[in-house]
Amino acid sequence: MRSSRWLRIVLMAAVSAVLAGCTAASPSGSGASGAGDDAEHASLTYWYWAESDAPGANDWMKGRIAEYQGKHPGVTINLVPQATDTLIGAFTTAAQSKSGPDIATQWATLPVLSQVWGGAVAPISDYVPDSERKNWIGTQENTYQGKVWGMPIYLIGIPLAYNKSLLARAGVTAPPTTFAELLSACAALRRVGVTPIGGGNKDGYFGAWFFSNFGKQNLDAVGDLQQAVIGTTDIKDPRVTGFYEPLHQLHANKCFNDDIASLSLDDGMSKFAGGQAAMAWGTDGIVAKWAKTLGADAIGVVKTPTWGTGKLASVYNTTQSSTAFITSWSAHKKAAAQFLAWLHDPANLTSWYAATGIFPADTRFDQATISSDLGRSLWELTSSPGSVWLENYLPPAVDGDGDLAAGQVITSGGSVADAVAAFAKATQKWRGQNPAEVKNYTTWSGR
Amino acid sequence: MPARAAAWTAALPRQVLLAAIAVICLEPVVFVLMTSLKSPDEYAVNRAGWPARPTLANYVEALADLPTLRWALNSAVVTSGSVLMSLVLAAPAAYAITFGEFHGRSLLLGANVGLIMVPPVALVLPVFVVMVNLGLINNLLSLVILYSCLLVPFSVFFLCNFFRTIPPELAEAGAIDGAGPVQLLWRVVLPLSRPAMLTLAVVNAIWAWNELLIALVFIQNESRRTLMAGLSLLQGRYSTNQPLVLAVASLSMLPVALFYLFSQRSFVRGLTAGIGR
Amino acid sequence: MSSTQVRVRPVAGPRVSGRTAGRHRAWWPYLFVLPAVAALGFGFVLPLLTVLRNSLYAGSVYQLEWVGLHNFSALFADDTFRTALANNLRLLLTVPLMTVLALLVAVVLNDGVRGWRVYRTVTFLPYILPAVGIGVSFSVFLQLNGGLNASLRAAGLGALARDWLGSPHWAIWSVAGVVVWQQLGFGVVLFLAALLSLPGEVTEAARVDGARWWTLQTRIHLPQIRGTIEFFVVTEAITVLSWVFAYVYVLTAGGPAHSSTVMEFYIWENGFAHGNVGLASAAAVVVLALAAILIAVYLRVRVRAANERAA
Repeated sequence: MRSSRWLRIVLMAAVSAVLAGCTAASPSGSGASGAGDDAEHASLTYWYWAESDAPGANDWMKGRIAEYQGKHPGVTINLVPQATDTLIGAFTTAAQSKSGPDIATQWATLPVLSQVWGGAVAPISDYVPDSERKNWIGTQENTYQGKVWGMPIYLIGIPLAYNKSLLARAGVTAPPTTFAELLSACAALRRVGVTPIGGGNKDGYFGAWFFSNFGKQNLDAVGDLQQAVIGTTDIKDPRVTGFYEPLHQLHANKCFNDDIASLSLDDGMSKFAGGQAAMAWGTDGIVAKWAKTLGADAIGVVKTPTWGTGKLASVYNTTQSSTAFITSWSAHKKAAAQFLAWLHDPANLTSWYAATGIFPADTRFDQATISSDLGRSLWELTSSPGSVWLENYLPPAVDGDGDLAAGQVITSGGSVADAVAAFAKATQKWRGQNPAEVKNYTTWSGR
Repeated sequence: MPARAAAWTAALPRQVLLAAIAVICLEPVVFVLMTSLKSPDEYAVNRAGWPARPTLANYVEALADLPTLRWALNSAVVTSGSVLMSLVLAAPAAYAITFGEFHGRSLLLGANVGLIMVPPVALVLPVFVVMVNLGLINNLLSLVILYSCLLVPFSVFFLCNFFRTIPPELAEAGAIDGAGPVQLLWRVVLPLSRPAMLTLAVVNAIWAWNELLIALVFIQNESRRTLMAGLSLLQGRYSTNQPLVLAVASLSMLPVALFYLFSQRSFVRGLTAGIGR
Repeated sequence: MSSTQVRVRPVAGPRVSGRTAGRHRAWWPYLFVLPAVAALGFGFVLPLLTVLRNSLYAGSVYQLEWVGLHNFSALFADDTFRTALANNLRLLLTVPLMTVLALLVAVVLNDGVRGWRVYRTVTFLPYILPAVGIGVSFSVFLQLNGGLNASLRAAGLGALARDWLGSPHWAIWSVAGVVVWQQLGFGVVLFLAALLSLPGEVTEAARVDGARWWTLQTRIHLPQIRGTIEFFVVTEAITVLSWVFAYVYVLTAGGPAHSSTVMEFYIWENGFAHGNVGLASAAAVVVLALAAILIAVYLRVRVRAANERAA
């Protein structure tokens, strides 16, 4: 082997040459076709995510695409549903080479804006007229430097659902509206042997919901969180991360099913659907699904009980959740925008609600199509003014690394201090790893 | 009589040990099969016991309502494609290394042996970017290409080991007929290597069938997933119905298990004699 | 390495190629190895070089900027990575356990116990089953109210029941248990094959000399399959260091609170879930460096094991 050192070099050179040939010859995705930007002649690739929020969303979208292609024979749309786990990472990695999809999906606010800052997004407000956009609900979630960067499809809120007969069995006459009432309802339910709240946090998403439901309650504005995230104020301040205390209290008082740490979010919530748990947090779509098993009359919904004293303590949590946007490298931006705007056609809004039980993010949605009392209470909550979904204001890395993990610390029996420390470390790591994003975040939060 | 008694006292602890190991090896498998035969309602109250009312409903649902068959088909395509490709790539190389003389021969063999154990996780990020550039994300071809590349080192090593056992006289006899290296490989060496090639194909097929990480990253589209990637993502979404998830899990293990029971010799030989993974 | 060279000495090459046509000798082997070399280049060389390069860059993926070795210091300052590394080292502890257990079973099977073929089939079964299928099954089996704890409670051993996957203290050991469960059969079959290939005369001679069972195993049998044992140890060490992604992903997803993460999962999480390409690449370089050490050992051991079998 010693004698053949130079051969190694030759070999490497040969390999590199072959590879260089391979990669150089490669076409660079759908974007580089050079066909010009024509709204009626385009082949669009759409990376799409919604099914986990809104069961039924994939089939609805396939149907819409088929209809659109029928009306616009020059346009073909290739729908690529994405996985929750890799939604951010796959797009970020693809964006490096500027040759991913024409339309992509990310969660509202920071997951979208961090892509905006990276130069991967074309503002949809440049392509869709204001007269159309003014009907969209939730555009403020993705507004930056006066432009709107993505389109909302639907709105979800996360109410606390309760099983009327189980609460009655425990002698609880009214659903809890304050944290103290929630604790005493838990105790009463425990006494009659009913699991008070069904939850699963093996995947960390239960804790992330808890962050949005309780984390905002001591804040006066989202700016309070943003300042702590960039380090101007202390993230360990109880006003910001003190919400791990109520989570800890709920866990310590056995308000959750005992196996919350070894079940996924869906699995934990399903205890409510199975009538084994008296309460559970769920999205509008999930509550709609529960109504099918338990009966719409058997379920009630309330806002998350009040625990904190900040100005945001009493506002509801609504978000468009997933946002569709046009990529900066797409060669068919007009075609993409025309299709996205068409999804807000009133007929499509109606069929969306029928397919998913989730409210479309559009003022033209006909509320008369809501048939049940439960649906009307959900609409009242979800459309209530001033709503904030706090998780949207966390940088994705802090959310994934800190928010999810910190909640697990508690549900696995750890202390509040450990949870807060985990959260604080994730923000620190983000500040060290992503200097450019930190700069943009700072500018954006200072607006 | 005393001899037999002695034999018994010697055999008993051994039987106990082996029986205990066998139970530990089989218990989780039995649990999976049993659970997959329970209705969700029964599983809620009967976690570990035998199913009181065994039902095939979960399997029906797994095959009819979930894309299980589709995933299995994708896995089959990827597996057969990459096994075939890896053999096509490796066989001539192993032949040249064993029977030919060229500069860098031992380097090439050494490189192959060393690369067998390189963890795929270190390779997947850069290749992902290349696949995006080639427009192959969500295309099963991306898996076939990378899998066949990753299978080359072991295949070359395994085939070299086997080719060395071919008596030189046989090759020589062919050479006298005036055959070139291509004909020698095709007409003499490969026919003699049929059992080895089969064993190698089996080992490579298991690897490709079972692979998760790359399949998870390269394929985003639900209907194009391989069985392993699909199954791993079923967990969260359908975890409300665990017997159903376990029915899909059993279906994912079934082909390998059956294959194993019917061709144990190939398996054992492949995984030990070639010392493969 | 040197013995690798010896072993690949062409068996028929010179004679065949010498007689058929001298001109073939020059080019055909290069042509034959070209596809494989291209595949190695595409599958290994290019990605490895890219990872090496990326490990020195950080920041937003759109504006990769040179940061030198900063990623590595950030890596070791990151608690999660330290946990991941520590967990990989914890998993290393399973290797001696697996080895001893597999040897014990193989030796007993080698004694010609009644039904040994059946036992061999059964112990080997877990090894060939897909890790994902196994992981999914165990993630249900090991839930707080899952099959294992239900069995324990039914057997009156409720005190042993744990939240196997939901407790930060137990999660990584549960992963370790599943790894042992699956890999044990490989050791058994490997060792048994080596034991069965030993020449019977030595054993007979030792028996005639009155060697007892224990002496026979430790003095006569095990030394003869030493190469195979070494091979198994190194293979499994590399496996638990860098081939356990599927188990962790399916069983715990690294949780709760990163407590069961491993280096591979860290790479996947940072590279694909958070888009920290530089950090993920640096972690990949660490994995590669550790694997490279073991691979060097493996190269030596593999040759020895192969020689042993050929002897």
